[in-house]
Amino acid sequence: MLGLDNTGVMLAYLLSVAGSILCVIYGIAKWNSTE
Amino acid sequence: MNYFTLIITVLIYFGIIAYLGWLGYKHTSSAKDYMLAGGEVHPYLMAMGYGSTQISTSAIVGFGGAAAMYGMSMLWLTAFNVLLGIFIGFTVVGTRTRAMGQKIGAQTFPEFLGKRYNSEFIRKYMSVLIIVAMPLYAAAVMIGGARFLEKAVNINYSVALVVFAVIVAAYVLTGGLKSVLYTSAFQGTLMLTAMTLLIVFTYAKLGGITAAHQALANMADQVPPSLVKQGHLGWTSMPALGSQMWWFVLSTLVLGVGIGTLSQPQLSVRFMTVKSNRELYRALLPAGVFILMMIGVATVVGTLSNAYFMRVEGKIAAAMVIDPIKQTPNIDNIIPVFITTAMPELISYIFLLTLLAAAMSTLAGQFHLIATSLSYDLYKPETKDDVVRIKMARYAVVAGLLVTLFLGFVLPGSIIAIATAIFFGLCAASFLPMYLAGLFWKRATVQGGIAGMLVGSIIYIIDMLFIYTREASIFGVCRSLFGVDSLASFPWIVIDPIVLALPASVIVTVLVSLITKPVDNDVINNLFGTVKVIQ
Repeated sequence: MLGLDNTGVMLAYLLSVAGSILCVIYGIAKWNSTE
Repeated sequence: MNYFTLIITVLIYFGIIAYLGWLGYKHTSSAKDYMLAGGEVHPYLMAMGYGSTQISTSAIVGFGGAAAMYGMSMLWLTAFNVLLGIFIGFTVVGTRTRAMGQKIGAQTFPEFLGKRYNSEFIRKYMSVLIIVAMPLYAAAVMIGGARFLEKAVNINYSVALVVFAVIVAAYVLTGGLKSVLYTSAFQGTLMLTAMTLLIVFTYAKLGGITAAHQALANMADQVPPSLVKQGHLGWTSMPALGSQMWWFVLSTLVLGVGIGTLSQPQLSVRFMTVKSNRELYRALLPAGVFILMMIGVATVVGTLSNAYFMRVEGKIAAAMVIDPIKQTPNIDNIIPVFITTAMPELISYIFLLTLLAAAMSTLAGQFHLIATSLSYDLYKPETKDDVVRIKMARYAVVAGLLVTLFLGFVLPGSIIAIATAIFFGLCAASFLPMYLAGLFWKRATVQGGIAGMLVGSIIYIIDMLFIYTREASIFGVCRSLFGVDSLASFPWIVIDPIVLALPASVIVTVLVSLITKPVDNDVINNLFGTVKVIQ
């Protein structure tokens, strides 16, 4: 997948991108939350 | 590059920085403005301030160069930083730090933990550790920025060092944290733009994401024998499990720097600059993207530079930057060489400013931390007069500047190169268990906090001086006393001190807390309010 065959490297790549997307989605979801 | 255009670009950049620094000065009228930027900072400023203070020039060229050597296994550092340092950092640690910090009226990280545990010793010890260790880290950043300025605009290195340091100190001194945040927001935006362009152009140059990765995978047989011996299995593979390279990538880079960000005093204080948790959640958006684009892009581009140079020059990246005297690769040059040879000229100009911005934003945060630790936490914490407090902080900025400049001139390059990892690791081992226990565990006692902090510091320093070869051999204390670089054997000699010091600190913090008298219920309930914690 994406030219990366090694599982460890692929996982690191996907987790890095997913982590950033998670920050964006969570930030939007909690946009007006003060909790 | 056109020299005239370059000079004009740099002058415009410094002009913008001067204006933003002046704006910070105009908006600073109280000690709270100077220490915490008033406590009502905009989420974007907070996020960019956090991110750009964390990412220095050495992070971009250093990680990029290391990735060119060691490959994409270093992306675990990015994953740890984004998920742990930013997501968990902001949503769990940051929200609690902000709420508790406002409740107890803390304006610095040492004051926060000192008041949480009701211990002046904790506050003073943290301040001393910061004042002793931070100038080393700051000198490393300063040298990186000055070396860069020296090569980019062709000026004498000593002049570059002084000019660079004085410019940053000037706006920190006058405008405190407001100047730091205003300039950091601009610098962070510039950095984000540059790294986005860099990754897009790099993948485009190599035929797209899949083609680029495949080209890199296809050249696994080009790994130098010396690296194969250390466990290197190719730039798109993890290193061999348990090998020297595996320990280096995991322990130093991932654990040391990845976990270390959570307890960096100059970063943690940023959580207390916003009015409510809403601002922290909003700051999460730019912060999460920023860190991915800094560390992630530096890692991917550094690794992919091997594929580019193999295609164009028939060599791997390390072979492109051989030092003519030492005859070994200077990996810090890989990213700059890649950009000047592979990227359009516009990217080179933007990237030049990016590296300058990265160094200045980090150095500004460091000078501010040295100033607040020295003038507010250590010297006269009881001072209430705002005018006096701001004056003392400004004197402290000058003191910090002079000490850091002195270190920048006298310290050998080998110590500077490891200063970042040492500061991150030492802060994590000394402060992280106490910090997290203080936020989430009502049962944490002052004795537990102090014991964990001391054990973490001591084990880290002993390991650094007598066991971990990479650092012990540079300090030379073990060799002077015992005639060897390390008193231990593999794998301990290649395992970062944080792997021993941090767990030890955690265990001691917990055990000592459990065997000492709990803190009074009224005090604890006042600190924690109705927030869910571990009882």
